[in-house]
Amino acid sequence: MKKYKVTVNGQQYDVSVEELGGVSAPLAPTAAAAPPLVSPAAPAAPAAPAVTGSGTIRAPMPGTVISVRVSVGQAVKRGDVILILEAMKMENEICATMDGVVSALRVQAGASVNTGDPMLDLA
Amino acid sequence: MEKKIKELEARRERITAGGGEKRIAAQHQKGKMTARERILTLLDPGSFIELDAFVEHRCDDLGMDRIQAPGEGVVIGYGMVNGRLVYVFAQDFTVIGGSLGEMHAAKICKAMDMAVKVGAPIIGINDSGGARIQEGVDALSGYGDIFYRNTQASGVIPQISVIMGPCAGGAVYSPALTDFVFMTEKSANMFITGPQVIKAVTGEDVSAETLGGATVHMEQSGVAHCSFPNENATIEGIKKLLSFLPQNNIEDSPVIANGDDPARMLADLADVIPDSPNKPYDIREVISRIFDNGDYFEIQPLYAKNIVTCFARLAGRSVGIVANQPKELAGVLDINASDKASRFIRFCDAFNIPLVTLTDTAGYLPGVGQEHGGVIRHGAKLLYAYSEASVPKLTVIIRKAYGGAYIAMCSKHLGADQVFAWPSAEIAVMGPDGAANIIFKKEIEESADPAATRKEKIDEYKEKFANPYKAAVRGYVDDVIAPAETRRRLSSALAMLLGKRETRVPRKHGNFPV
Repeated sequence: MKKYKVTVNGQQYDVSVEELGGVSAPLAPTAAAAPPLVSPAAPAAPAAPAVTGSGTIRAPMPGTVISVRVSVGQAVKRGDVILILEAMKMENEICATMDGVVSALRVQAGASVNTGDPMLDLA
Repeated sequence: MEKKIKELEARRERITAGGGEKRIAAQHQKGKMTARERILTLLDPGSFIELDAFVEHRCDDLGMDRIQAPGEGVVIGYGMVNGRLVYVFAQDFTVIGGSLGEMHAAKICKAMDMAVKVGAPIIGINDSGGARIQEGVDALSGYGDIFYRNTQASGVIPQISVIMGPCAGGAVYSPALTDFVFMTEKSANMFITGPQVIKAVTGEDVSAETLGGATVHMEQSGVAHCSFPNENATIEGIKKLLSFLPQNNIEDSPVIANGDDPARMLADLADVIPDSPNKPYDIREVISRIFDNGDYFEIQPLYAKNIVTCFARLAGRSVGIVANQPKELAGVLDINASDKASRFIRFCDAFNIPLVTLTDTAGYLPGVGQEHGGVIRHGAKLLYAYSEASVPKLTVIIRKAYGGAYIAMCSKHLGADQVFAWPSAEIAVMGPDGAANIIFKKEIEESADPAATRKEKIDEYKEKFANPYKAAVRGYVDDVIAPAETRRRLSSALAMLLGKRETRVPRKHGNFPV
């Protein structure tokens, strides 16, 4: 457990960050630890969501999911087309950013997404 | 006399030995060449002439009086690359870590001054631990002198920075001021503050590679223009880039006869483009078919992939290509794409390289992130760069050219000399869906069957406006051409424009929206 004192807009927060053992750490461990220290929106938020962050495929721009090409449990390779996002008058192929197995589908065909919305998790 | 010649040879040998066998072995162990090896690999055999080999530092503080630094930790000189003169400097990491002191900087400045004087490109190979702290403000002055010269030489001679080792702190700004930054994967790092400082200040744990490796600068920061897996490949990359460039701002790039018929018809080009305007394709397929022998050299291939910037040849002449990439982010224009393209356009304009623009974009990317990130001022760079460019400007509208993006992608209005459109071009103020919804809002709302009316109106708009002919009627498009004719027509237009002259009102300089 590490304790930090963080000042956001003049307001002081005491933040404790616990390092969870056992969680697969090799993917961007720094990204997991850093956001709570600098994010003014959630100064006291724990680091938990970021742990899966690197394996999440997010919407690159606002649009509508028109088809999902993979299912949970399916193995994919970096570069495989995993879903089609219609945005800016184009049926954009969204590709896997890493090798892995689809662990969760966060959207279905027909869903509207905004930039940065999680669409699919890879483990 | 003989004795004196012997002494000269002995002195030279000491300098050429650099940091000595042990340090050279350590350098090799890391997969790195020494400064001299790099220069000899880059230059044509036997062409390298070293200058200032005998320069020594004059610092006697903090024990520096006892430190020998053969060549001052940097090798400078000139030579040929494929028979064309270049100036080079290469920092020698084996000599006190390639650290930059007063005289080290003076050598680099001499190479730069000579390059400007004779109008030859300068290639700087960076591999340095940073400022030589013992020399204090003299080291800082050295950096400043280099930055000043980088800026004075900008737009006069091509400046290429090659990062083959650490490049940290003040040292990063010389590369940033040059035209191109090439990085060797794994061994090159660039950052203002290193991992230790970051750890001390913010508590973040970050490796040098994650913080400032080639991958990060190629994909995220846009600091690097090209990266290569090893030093030999990096050097080949420099040679390839140089083949497209002129020696300086008053010369043209070399014309290289390459056997590809300028009038070659492109029978299969139309097949690259999907029938549905909503389907993506790879614009590089179009580029490789149009230009000489399918050969092109991409700049910043991994940054803002929604726009492609590359050098290629057309009828043997060097051209700079800017093209929307429908395969990435629908080929939209956004902050990073505008930034990437406008810098490329300004380089081409500064060095008399004609521009060919391939347009297929639905517009600027909507979103709070873009607006708050300043897409207005960044997007303006593209308008400015195109308008400012006085080199021959050719545009081919392949498919979508809507609204502001139509204007921005080197339209007639920004001074394009020739604009061609394919029959598939859709040149309109906005896409059919959005336009129909606005223009026929009332009709659609009041209709008994709004969905059917909307579709009908969209089709009506498509037929009337989503084509190249409305623009051609006004002369905004010089000609509507079949895809197969593209190469022939571009070659002809380029030859026609060789004598292009444009006079502008004299001014000190414009105010580019940086």
